[in-house]
Amino acid sequence: MASGKRNHKLQEEEQSLKGTLYAVFGIGIFVIASWFAVFSIFTDRF
Amino acid sequence: MHLHRYEKWWITFGIGSLVLFLIIVGIGAFHQGHQPPSSVKTINYEQVDKVTPFNEPGLTKVSGKDWDYELVVVASAFMYMPAEVEIPVGSTVKIIATTKDVVHGYGVTGTNINMMLEPGYISEYVTTMDKIGEYLVVCNEYCGTGHHTMKMMYKVVDVNE
Repeated sequence: MASGKRNHKLQEEEQSLKGTLYAVFGIGIFVIASWFAVFSIFTDRF
Repeated sequence: MHLHRYEKWWITFGIGSLVLFLIIVGIGAFHQGHQPPSSVKTINYEQVDKVTPFNEPGLTKVSGKDWDYELVVVASAFMYMPAEVEIPVGSTVKIIATTKDVVHGYGVTGTNINMMLEPGYISEYVTTMDKIGEYLVVCNEYCGTGHHTMKMMYKVVDVNE
């Protein structure tokens, strides 16, 4: 049991979060790009 | 507390975006003076026709103010007065509007002008109309059976032509 728990902890630390990073930054950049696109419409109009 | 290195990047990015957004909104509010178009000035909605300037709706040239024209609009079920207005391109206009009965909308399509007209309140919006064209004004607050027929037209024209 004890060794299983330790294994699990070890696995968690070794997990690569690169995919998560790309996904989250992808969404973030999309949100910001959309915001600026809408803001440019706002500043362009009277 | 243990935070993954990537999580720290993301938190920095998130807080940075928030700060940037607040700075832009802050400049709009405090430097450029953007504010809600109503709730400051009040009027007795039953006396709208008798009170200046709403007794004479329409476009009037003014001097000594930050704007060139004042456009007074009275909304009622299911029309705007005036129904059509011609505005010289490049002029700064202050729109002053109210309603005689229920809540109406005042959305000028293709522009940032979009106000709610509430009984008892005067809505105002100042803008420089710098693009020639025809702009349809629609009611975008459901006001009754004739709601969809309620409209007005802005004609922004070049007076030198």
